[in-house]
Order: sequence, then structure tokens, then C-alpha cells
Amino acid sequence: MRALASEEPDRSLEPLESRPPSTESPTEDRPIAVDLEGVTKRYAGTTAVDGVSLSVREGEFFTLVGPSGCGKTTTLRLIAGFESATDGAVRFHGEDVTGVPPEARDVGVVFQNYALFPHMSVGENVAYGLNFAEPPGGVSDDERVRELLELVDLEGMAEREPDRLSGGQQQRVAIARALAPGPDVLLLDEPMSALDAQLRERLRIQVKAIQKELDITTIYVTHDQEEALAISDRVAVMRDGTPEQVAPPREIYRRPGTRFVAEFVGDNNVFDGTVRSLGADGAVSVDIGPETFAVAPGEDDVAVDDGLAFCVRPENLVVEADSTGDPRTENVTQATVRSAEFLGETTRVHLEWQGQELLVRTRDLLSGEVLVGFDPEDAHVVSVDRTV
Amino acid sequence: MVEPAHSPVLGGRIRGGGHVSDRTDPRANGGATAPVDGPGSGPDPGNPRTGDEPTGRRRARGIRNRLERRAIALFGLGTILLLVVLFYYPVATVFVEAVVVEGAVTLAVFLELLRDPFYFGDLARLFAGESPLAVASDLLSADRRIGIVGFTAYQAFLSTLLSVALGVPAAYVLARYEFRGRQTLRSLTVLPFVLPSIMVAVGFVATFGQNGTLNRLLGLVGLGPIELMFTLEAILIAHAFYNAPLVARVTTAAWESVDASAIETARSLGASPFRAFRDVVAPQLYPAVLMGAALTFVFTFGTFPIVLALGGFELATVEVFVYRLIQDLNYAEAAALAIVELVITLGILYGYLRYEANHVVRSRGVRPLPRRPLSPPSLSVRELAPRAGIAVYAAIALVVFVSPIVSMLYASVSGPNGLTLDHYRFLIDRQQTAAAFQVRPWPAIRNSLLFAAGALALALPMGVVVSVLTTRRYRGRKLVDAVAMAPLAVSGIIVGIGLLRGPVFGIELAGWQITMGGAAAIVAAHAVSCYPFVVRTVAPGLESVDRSLVESARALGASRARALYDVELPLVWPGVVAGAAFVVAISMGEFSSTVILATGTDQYTMPVAIERFIGRRLGPATAMGVVLLVVTSISFVIIDRLGGESFGI
Repeated sequence: MRALASEEPDRSLEPLESRPPSTESPTEDRPIAVDLEGVTKRYAGTTAVDGVSLSVREGEFFTLVGPSGCGKTTTLRLIAGFESATDGAVRFHGEDVTGVPPEARDVGVVFQNYALFPHMSVGENVAYGLNFAEPPGGVSDDERVRELLELVDLEGMAEREPDRLSGGQQQRVAIARALAPGPDVLLLDEPMSALDAQLRERLRIQVKAIQKELDITTIYVTHDQEEALAISDRVAVMRDGTPEQVAPPREIYRRPGTRFVAEFVGDNNVFDGTVRSLGADGAVSVDIGPETFAVAPGEDDVAVDDGLAFCVRPENLVVEADSTGDPRTENVTQATVRSAEFLGETTRVHLEWQGQELLVRTRDLLSGEVLVGFDPEDAHVVSVDRTV
Repeated sequence: MVEPAHSPVLGGRIRGGGHVSDRTDPRANGGATAPVDGPGSGPDPGNPRTGDEPTGRRRARGIRNRLERRAIALFGLGTILLLVVLFYYPVATVFVEAVVVEGAVTLAVFLELLRDPFYFGDLARLFAGESPLAVASDLLSADRRIGIVGFTAYQAFLSTLLSVALGVPAAYVLARYEFRGRQTLRSLTVLPFVLPSIMVAVGFVATFGQNGTLNRLLGLVGLGPIELMFTLEAILIAHAFYNAPLVARVTTAAWESVDASAIETARSLGASPFRAFRDVVAPQLYPAVLMGAALTFVFTFGTFPIVLALGGFELATVEVFVYRLIQDLNYAEAAALAIVELVITLGILYGYLRYEANHVVRSRGVRPLPRRPLSPPSLSVRELAPRAGIAVYAAIALVVFVSPIVSMLYASVSGPNGLTLDHYRFLIDRQQTAAAFQVRPWPAIRNSLLFAAGALALALPMGVVVSVLTTRRYRGRKLVDAVAMAPLAVSGIIVGIGLLRGPVFGIELAGWQITMGGAAAIVAAHAVSCYPFVVRTVAPGLESVDRSLVESARALGASRARALYDVELPLVWPGVVAGAAFVVAISMGEFSSTVILATGTDQYTMPVAIERFIGRRLGPATAMGVVLLVVTSISFVIIDRLGGESFGI
């Protein structure tokens, strides 16, 4: 497999304060390739997709992520033309494609189950789309198939039967097949879900590399938030048929827009409290039970007595094993260790604090009573419940 | 690593539509996306993105695309149109006769029919307005009259009981025991269904007739001859011959789909083997048995050739009487009776389908129950008792299922003085010496083959189109389904008489006299009665083709019709071939509509010829039956081979 320097987000324990969070997608100044406006899909009794508005730029790797039933796959199928929207419009390059059948939309689709034609060889599968479009670059069909198989590291496999290949190989054939006619947009519907964890990580690096190399607009659906962060230029976190937040991975992770996003993407600790006072430096004091915490102000204006929820990532909670020791940070409180999961690199420790579970990541062995604290800057406000 | 710069993979994208033409060159921003190999790896600027397709070619392709996009709808429309012309219109003309007398719409014919004790027995008095209590008490007394309709239901009910009694043990053996030839035996259960019924009737005459095999065997051991011909018993056994394998087939399938782990779970929770069977296996078998029973009842309620040959007019069923009324040119009464039959049949089918919709458990057995060896592993009672039962069952099955065929083969080569080829010689002589009104063997064979080929050419595309139409989701699908499947419910006699009195005698349409040849009408009748079987064999396959395969093809640029042709049809090809084999076999054995359309013409087929011989000369009838068996089997095998070799899937 050809290795490639990937642009995976840093998931190490070290704080990332040296780099400001990137809030821009690398394709920000490119024209819009696919654009959804108020797209709604209702089935008898249920609304699968509820007024989705999104814009995907040319060459962008855009991911729809969310729990099952959140409408991400239906959104993708609406873009592909397999379903027609009950309401709203899907536009390709500004042109409404409502009523345009999938075969005329110039999209490449990759499914979770590969969907290779079992009665055709690998080469015939890849060549199938060339029945309906000239291969790009003025090459012959055979040449195009050879190129694509080379692109996905399956040189010389053209004669094989698809069911003789491993799952990862089959999925690469499916990707080659989708790319062969040179589609305008590549749509991937949970393409890695059927593969084991190691293979999944290898393949996603390869998919990302191919996407960058071809500079092809790509819309990717997954339920795996880690995969979404790892692979995308921008991510839409969906819930109940609507995107809760659309932003680049780093922003999604560090500045979740809603409580749902905070809890869905990565481990998180969400604290619910009441605003007690507003400091001169803008810092907000929040009461939770008998304790008071200082958090950095969010973008929303808050007033005294407002309800406020903020989150602190486990890796940003500082733990002191000795409950009588010297706290290294602000906002220190006492908690009890309930259990620990050894994950190799770190240990995820479940603490109990005021009837709530807190997650921390540490390399230390912890037990009994511990001190926990966090820097106000690491607290991110996710919701404000105004009293007035 | 990534492809070197100027890789042809990076070429522009060309596909029909022009909506990409206004795109800016993505390379303008290439640097920002930081390709690993540096700026050079952006798309090749020399590549045109669109627009080098000549306008004329594009327009031609546009038209073709539009046609292709509508292809399925067009084919669907064509099929429906054919159905209207070849089925609905002719059948409607027959049914209209039941309610239109001398130009006026009336229910008189129906009322007369319903009040006639000849048809409805004591029940007719109920329709005539007598007190239900009096009628009920009479019905419970010993000298009740049930009429023809009652008798038809009665014999269908008994036939169903017998078929279930013979079919369920077969399912038990096939699903639970391992032995040599099990697979073959399992596939053989489809055979009775495609055997020409008139040939089976000949087989039964040869077995149970006065000089049949049974009486000869009884004679050998000094037992007096028994008379089974023209008795209810003979009809019931013949019906079981047909329908018990059907019951066995659906029950076996259900039994095999029982998941072993479900039983193991029940056992581990403390259930005895019997209790586990009762609680886990049986509930999954009931719906299958009931389906077999419902179909058996419907088939035997509308039975015709078997009763005609084995029962005669003394034991006439509704269908036989419809035939008789038609021969007497009493079309109005025949049509009314046929409608009564249709209503009863559809009522039962509807009731069953309602039940099925609520009860059928579709569990795909992840791990089927393990099969036991047929030879007992030990000589304990527990092992021997069920196998002794199986041995008894095997002996009965031999008499019911094998002896008719063997007897027919034997009777065709035996005469008063031992083995002889006289009967076949008779067929050859008859070919030369037959008078104009007598049937000759060669035209019968030739017609059978021709009609089967014609029916195949018509029924196969119709069946495939209907399969496509009924497996897709859209509004009105249920209606299309019902319209397309109705021919299964209407008796061949009605289709035959409708075609005869409609298109064959001529239809006046906009001043033109349109007539249809007798041969064409027979082909039409066969095609209409056969294509539902193509649907039966093709539709389940289509249903199970992964939706994402079709969607992949479409995303790659294939129209819906093209995806059907490139992806779905090759995948369901075995079903198409099986459907074709069904069509040929059923067309060759078709009797009901053929006998109506071929009477008085030289368009008779082998089954019609057999029926002509059967009353007077059993020998030649059996010889003709053997010829029919051979030709049908060969066609069956040829189609199977053709399909198997060219599409080895």
C-alpha cells in the first residue's frame, strides 16, 4: 500500500494550544459543488430528513456523521437521486437536479456492502460505467480500468472474481468502479463499516489520499465519529434528520455547538450549572451544587442566574492522585474513582462526582479519593438557558 | 505513493449532461489542498471537461436514453395490453353472458342457479328463501343432498386432507433425515406439478382400472378384483398425487428454515424434545402446511381433466359441468357457474392471503437442524420406531406416486399375450389410416411442440416484465399484482371459451372484422395460463437482488432498464430458466382451454389426443401418454441444459 502523509487530527494527550483551532475548510474559496436547501424526506409516519441545508464545495471531503436513524444515509441517497425529496431542492453547481435520475447525475457511489456485480470479473465491474461515458483523459476503456486498479493497489486483479477477494479488496474495487467514469461527486455510504478496525484505518488513509489526488468532491457517510474527524475537511453532525453542527473536525471537537455534539463526538464531560457572577475579565462563575467553577466566556451573552452547560474533554481534566496534594490548576474539586479501563496508551478512569460520572484520561494509577480540576480556557460552553 | 504528476487518472470528467461546463478549474486552488507531490499533481489542465461530443450524437443518445428510461413502463404497458386482449376481454365476454340476457342486464341466471338443488343441494332452498333452521336440520340428516357445488367442495376437502396426510410425513423425512438421493427426491417433488394431468389420469386408469396393475397383482394372490375407477377414492388419490408433493415442498422449506439454536435455546431452558417441537418448530410449520392446504383446496376445487377421466359425469365437479354446459351451448348457465366457482376460489385464496400476511414467520435459518441418518445408528426402540413409520410411509408413497407412472409405461408395452409394441404400432398405423374426424399422433406431437414454443416466446417476456413490475415499490403496485395474477384464478375452460367466442369467431372493431387463428388462440391461452409461473420463479430472485447493486449500476450511468438487463437478469437467470421449463411443461400438458379451442379442428395436442383414446383404447392412450412424458421430459432437460451452460451461475 502506498503510504501518504495524512492530515489526521492530533489525538494525543498534549494540549494543542500552540495551534489555534482551524475553523476553515481548505476548500473555503472554491465554488459550491453540491448544495441542499431545506431538503426534507418524509415516509409514511416518519420524517427521515428534516429541512437539511448544506453546501459542499468542490474538492471538499465532507462527512455526514450521526447515530443510526439520524437521516445521514437518506441525505446521501437524496443527493445520489435514489430517493426524491418530499420538499426542498438539491443542486449540483447551482442547477436543480430534482427529477434527474441517478444515471444522469454524474455521481459515483460506494456502498457499505461493496455491491460488486457478482457475475462480472473485477475488470468488468470497474469497466461497467464506461458503457455510458467516455473514459476521461482520452484513454481506452482497458487503459482506464488498468489505471484505476493501479490507483487502488489492485494491479493485475482484473480477471479475478469479486467473491474471491477480501473485504478490503472488494471495497477498493468498488471505489475504482465508482471513479472510473470520472464522476463529478463521489458519494460513500459507510464504506468501511463491514471491515475490521485495522483495515478500516488503512483504507481510510488510502481513500483520503485518492480523494486529494483526484481533487474530487466527496460526501462521506459514517456513524463512526473518530473516522469522521480523521478523514474530513468538514463534518456535519446529524441528529433526528437535521445537522446540529457543520464545521471542520477540529472545531467540532473543541467547540461543539450543542450538547448533543459535545457528547456524540469523542468522550466528554458535560457540567450543568447556574451562572453566579460575571468577572471583570469576562470569566463566568458557575455554581454546580455546593461548588463554584470559573469558565471562559462563550460566544453567547450570559447573565446571572442563567442556566449554563459547559464541557471539558477528559484529556483536559487534570487529576491529582493524592487528595491532600497540591492542585496544579484551577477549579479543583474532589471525586471518587469508580473504575478504570486500561487502553494501552492511556487509562480512561471513571470518577464519581456529585452523582455524576466524570471521565479522565491519565497515565497514573488512581484509586480512592482524587482531586480533579481544569483550566477555565478548556471549558467550552455548549448551551445557555436564559432566565429572562 | 500518489500517482506521478500528469496521471491520466486525473483527467477531466465527461458524462452526457452539460451542467459541469461552467466549473472553474480546481487547480486554481490546488495549492491550498496541499497535494503531497506538490502543485504538479492537480488535474491536467489540457483536458476538456465537457462538450466534445458532437451535437447529433448527443441528441441521438438523448432520445435513446429517454426511450430506455421509459422502457420498463413501455414493456409493462405492452404486457397489460396483451393481457387485456388475450385474457380480460375474452373472459369478460363470457362473464357478460351470465348477466346479460337478450340485451338486458339481469341476475335471473344466477338466482336460478343458486336455487337449483342440482347445483347447491339442500343449500339451494336457503337461497330460495326457506328457513335456515329447516335447511340446517336437513343438511345434518343422512339423506342430505349437497349438489354439484357441494360435492366439489367435499371432494376438494377430502383431497386436501389426504394431500396433507401424505405430504407432511414426506417433509419430515426430507427435512430431518440424510440419505442418498435426498436432494434428488426433494427436487422431484416439483415434478407432479408439471406432469400433464391427462397423462396422470391415464396412469391411474392403468393402475386402478379393471385390468390395471393393482387388480392383476391382487389376482396373483387370489384376491378378487376391486373397482376403483369412477369412484371418489380414485379421484382423491389422483389429487393427492398432484398436491401432496406441493404440501411436502412448502413444509420442507419451512422446516429447513427453523434455526437449530432456537430449539437448543428451548431445550436449555428446560423444554423436553416434544415440548421444544411444539413450541418452536410447529409454529413455524403451521403456516406452510396451511399454505399447502389452501393451494391444494383451490386446485382440487377447480379440477377438470382428472375428474373427467377418472370420475366421468357421474362424479362431475363444477368445472366438468361447466365444460358440459358449454358442449350443450348453454353459455349463460356455464358462465354463471364459472363465476360461482371463481368467487369461491378467490374467497379462499383471499382468506389465506389475509392469514399469511399476519402469520408467516420469515426466519432465515442461520443454522438448520442437523439431519439424522436414515439407517438407525442403534437398535433401540427410540431409533427404530420412527424409521419403521417411514418404511410404512414409503410403501404407501410408492403406490400413490410411482405406480401410476410405472403402470402407464408397463401398460403401453403389454397386451393380452405379454409384452408387445402393438400400441405404438397402432399410433403409427393411425397416422396413415385415420379418417378426417379421428386424431392422428404426429399432428398432436407437432402441435404440442409448436404451441409450447409459441407460449414460451410470449409467456417468458410477459412473466419477466410482470416480475419487475410487481417487485418494485410504487403506488398501485397491489393493483398491478392482482391484475397480473388473476389468470391463475380463472379456469382454463373459461379462457378457452372466451377466446373461441371472441377473437376466434371474430371481433367487430371500427368496421373491421378481426379474427384470430385457432392455433394463435391456443398459444395465447397457454401463454396466459403459464406466465404466472414465470413470475413465481423470477420474482423471488428479483426481490432478493441487493438494491445497492442496481443503484450502483444506475450511479454509473445505466438506465433502470439497462440495470435490469445488465445486473438483475443475469443474477436471476436460473429462475428465468426454471420459469421457461415450467412454461414448456405446462403448455404441453394443458388440457382445459386446448380441448375447447381444438374441438372440431386439427389443432389438437397430445393431451387432447390422449383424452380421445382413453375411453375406447387404453393401450394407445398409454402409448400416447408415454410419448407425451418423453417429449415433455426432453424439453424440460433441454431448457435446463441450455440455461445451465450458457449462464453457468
